[in-house]
Amino acid sequence: MLLEATDIHKTFQEGRETVHVLNGVTLSLARGEIVSLEGPSGSGKTTLLSIIGCILTPTSGRVVIEQHGVNAQHQGELARVRRQYIGFVFQQFNLFPALTALENIEYALNIKGVKGVAAQREAERVLVAVGLAERLHFLPRDLSGGQKQRVAVARALAGNSPLILADEPTANLDSVTGGQVLEMFRALAKQENRGLLIVTHDPKVRAVADRVLKIEDGRLI
Amino acid sequence: MVDLARKNLLHDKLRFVITVSGVAFAVTLIFVQIGLFGGLLDNASVTIDHLDADIWVTSSKTPNIDFAHLFPETSVQRVRSVPGVARADNLIVSFMFISLPNGARENIEVYALEDFSRWHFPWNVVQGNLDDLRRGRYFFLDESAARRFGPFAVGEYREVLDYRLKIIGTTREALSFTTTPIGFMDYRIAQTLLGREWVGRTTYIVAKLAPGADVAAAKAEIQRRLPHNDVYTTAEWSRQSRSYWVESTGIGFNMFMTVLLGGLVGIVIVAQTLYTSTMEHIKEFGTVKAIGGSNADIYKILAEQAVISAVVGYALGLIPAFALVPAMAKGGLKLVITPELMLVVFVGTVAMCLLAAMVSFRKVATIDPALVFRG
Ligand SMILES: Nc1ncnc2c1ncn2[C@@H]1O[C@H](COP(=O)(O)OP(=O)(O)OP(=O)(O)O)[C@@H](O)[C@H]1O
Ligand SMILES: [Mg+2]
Repeated sequence: MLLEATDIHKTFQEGRETVHVLNGVTLSLARGEIVSLEGPSGSGKTTLLSIIGCILTPTSGRVVIEQHGVNAQHQGELARVRRQYIGFVFQQFNLFPALTALENIEYALNIKGVKGVAAQREAERVLVAVGLAERLHFLPRDLSGGQKQRVAVARALAGNSPLILADEPTANLDSVTGGQVLEMFRALAKQENRGLLIVTHDPKVRAVADRVLKIEDGRLI
Repeated sequence: MVDLARKNLLHDKLRFVITVSGVAFAVTLIFVQIGLFGGLLDNASVTIDHLDADIWVTSSKTPNIDFAHLFPETSVQRVRSVPGVARADNLIVSFMFISLPNGARENIEVYALEDFSRWHFPWNVVQGNLDDLRRGRYFFLDESAARRFGPFAVGEYREVLDYRLKIIGTTREALSFTTTPIGFMDYRIAQTLLGREWVGRTTYIVAKLAPGADVAAAKAEIQRRLPHNDVYTTAEWSRQSRSYWVESTGIGFNMFMTVLLGGLVGIVIVAQTLYTSTMEHIKEFGTVKAIGGSNADIYKILAEQAVISAVVGYALGLIPAFALVPAMAKGGLKLVITPELMLVVFVGTVAMCLLAAMVSFRKVATIDPALVFRG
């Protein structure tokens, strides 16, 4: 199994109050599988994604990625797991404004330890794959929203991370563009055998998902 | 490696210009301060550094070249007989009044030797023949006197200590620390002018050693034979004359304060712009962390930006500093920018900018990658 999250609990301390955001979530994801996670606002979707993505530490519970138990107590270890296994796609794209499309991806690869010509080739490959062969040297400000999200998808796919996590990837796109990005996302995830977890409000995501999970009040239902 | 540091820095051109201007300003200020200081100090020892001697004998406790005291001129015999000494002569250094055509009286500082050529002194003769000084009541006067006392020409007469002397030559760059112009005349003439008190007395003995002679040994032997005088190597005496002014006038402290201030201005400007830049790029740095980057990756970005700002700012600060050299010279001020000074200021500038970058390090360490999911 690519990802196994078992009995994840997460509480936040809000002043004197303890807020229970996740109350024992268990889920798994295989390579090549596309899962959509739906739920009302405030239900804990992003929190769960952050824990699976090794950005947040669960209060209790266990995350296992490709048979490696994640020791969530150590920041350096979490960063290493993120470099090695995980690609992110964010609602706001989060591209580096001073870097071209190509450089954005190259830089992410550099962080992951892929350098020089190898990084450049891989960046070109994924940009061509998301249909931006003509836009390699464009800065983000010269790209449309859909094109920016394609760059972000390409960045998540670059470097063979087996697990791709996306938080509301279509929320900042119009319906048609969002649909196109999702179609492309699905095709690439299948083709390259990645596991894809998409957190969303967007009903269109169901169309591309193999499985739909629903979360409410920190529990899967 | 994609150079995110450089691209981010140049992406915001206005901020980059401000940062670099701040560094350049500090660099120029520091060069001018230290350069002027160096120029002043050069004057404090310029005669010592140019007179072709290895050893200087002074009266006991003479603080610097300009404040000379008298001792018997026959001491020179004892110096001449020291093994290793090739030649030794008496040297008189004394301030003298000079009467101007308009009747005013001013000061010049006179250096008097029996044979100037032998000591390759003065070092920068513009007009005249030094050997003519021996022939009578003549003197050389430095060109800087024109600025102080009005124009003069070779062949004119001036009253020095109420004796009429003819100007038979001019020199350049011969000024005392206090920018008094220096004149040069024959040793015996100087004694005559100075009066009864100076008969048979001198202010310095300068000695040149034979090639290969042991300076320390010769110095020790001279000191042994002249226990009531002080004996210095040229380098020691030069340093002593410079440090006298540094210590007694506070110009050293003054320079130090300005340099400190310049450095501080630079650090504050760079720290301020880098910090604002860090704050504006927090989301990007969060992204760097989310995709697996470490604090060190981000520190490297800030450090590189600091170094780029330092190098560009240094280069831009050096240009006006050099441009000021001739302008200052016109005003009679010497601005000395040596390669050593350039190196030291360069290293200082880079260190200053790195220090400024470190102000942002703490901020970076607290950036939470989870912010990438927030709106
Ligand atoms: N760092 C935090 N400190 C305190 N409370 C938090 C923190 N992060 C999230 N929460 C709370 O946890 C709950 C779930 O937040 P989360 O962002 O996971 O919801 P979500 O399902 O992603 O909502 P949305 O659809 O609006 O993005 C919310 O009530 C939120 O206020
Ligand atoms: Mg959310």
